Amino acid sequence: MSNEELIEHYFSNVLSREERLEFNNRYEQDKTFKDEVDFLENLKVVSEGEDSQNFKSQLKGFEKEYQNTSETSNTKAWLKPLLAVAAILIIALSINFGRNRSVDETKLFDTYFEPSKNVTQPIIRSDGNENTLNDAFIAYNSSNYQEALTLFNNVYRDSKQSELLFYEGNALLALEKPKEAIEKFNQHLTFSDSLVNRSHWYLALSYLKSKDSEKAKLELQALLNSGENFKKKEATSLIKKLK
Amino acid sequence: MEQHYVDALKNGHEAITKELYNTHRPVFLGFAKKYNLAEADCVDIYQEAFIALRKHAISGKLYEINSGLNTYLFGIGKHLIYKKLKEYSVTSNYDPQLHKVLDQYEEIKLESEKESTKEQLLLYNSFKQLGKKCQHMLTLSFYRGLTNEEIAKIEGYESEAVVRSQKSRCLKTLKDLIKLSNPPRL
Repeated sequence: MSNEELIEHYFSNVLSREERLEFNNRYEQDKTFKDEVDFLENLKVVSEGEDSQNFKSQLKGFEKEYQNTSETSNTKAWLKPLLAVAAILIIALSINFGRNRSVDETKLFDTYFEPSKNVTQPIIRSDGNENTLNDAFIAYNSSNYQEALTLFNNVYRDSKQSELLFYEGNALLALEKPKEAIEKFNQHLTFSDSLVNRSHWYLALSYLKSKDSEKAKLELQALLNSGENFKKKEATSLIKKLK
Repeated sequence: MEQHYVDALKNGHEAITKELYNTHRPVFLGFAKKYNLAEADCVDIYQEAFIALRKHAISGKLYEINSGLNTYLFGIGKHLIYKKLKEYSVTSNYDPQLHKVLDQYEEIKLESEKESTKEQLLLYNSFKQLGKKCQHMLTLSFYRGLTNEEIAKIEGYESEAVVRSQKSRCLKTLKDLIKLSNPPRL
């Protein structure tokens, strides 16, 4: 193993037992190796300070946002009785008109849902390729969702690659199984891979398909809050239609 | 401990970090206020505890902890509250012993920070002269301890090979900057 790789494993804290012995050995015997490690140890300390400063500013941002949100929700006391009267009026009016107005979830779902494109793995089409993941994506891209689902499931079981949960959820939703899709997307949301924010969008659509507009709205809001640009325009317009 | 939260703190996942911050904030502030601390101090302590929690996620310490994330966060908070109460007692007649509050959180002590060595101070000056991108790359590699594959995935690089070459370019620039600021004596 090269010095570079050994040092990389050391700083990522993934040295195997043998590698650790080798690392210690080179550190004792090889002055150039020792100097490099000592230099990088100092770099670790210096960059820690820098990183903590950046994180501190991030927390200040969270705090500001938190206080702004709670200020808006803490409405002034004198407004409360007025708001109560207004609320009663609104409820009374909506009893009269509410029957005419209902969100057509199925129609909205059909307008907005399109299974996600494969943004994870380029497909290699060749006769000799027996890679299951490759086959899964081929099935997925050809809209063979049932087959794709089984294959993704198999690969996930062995590799635990969390992004596959995202595609499984999409396949389930395309197969009109929103309840199972909800479970899958919720499972995906416990990870932090690069597709995780996108799951909010598809989870919102899964709720829409199950006629649960309230939960759909929460997921759309979570997508918008995440700062992710994916489907931002669509999420903003859909959330308005659900209000 | 909840591993996906620890991973999110380590990998800098902003949305999940914010969710954690917002979820624990009201409970923590309620807890800290029992010690008769001013609201602004409670917020500072919460943020400091949160920073320490993240440091422990990065160092790998949290993976070995069996308690839940909130118990750990509150344990650190308790330590920082005691520290603050000591400060109060120096400036006034405040007696921290009178303000001990019964709760289920065990205090988690934090190591005090070491003073920087001369080499680290020199290195810091050169590090600050690097471009933001290089500072970030080196921080991810050496402080956060992410592998090249992880960096490629999080930062959207094409492959780990791209990360490797980018990193080695940054290190070279850093070493050149150090040489420039500290030329060898003739």
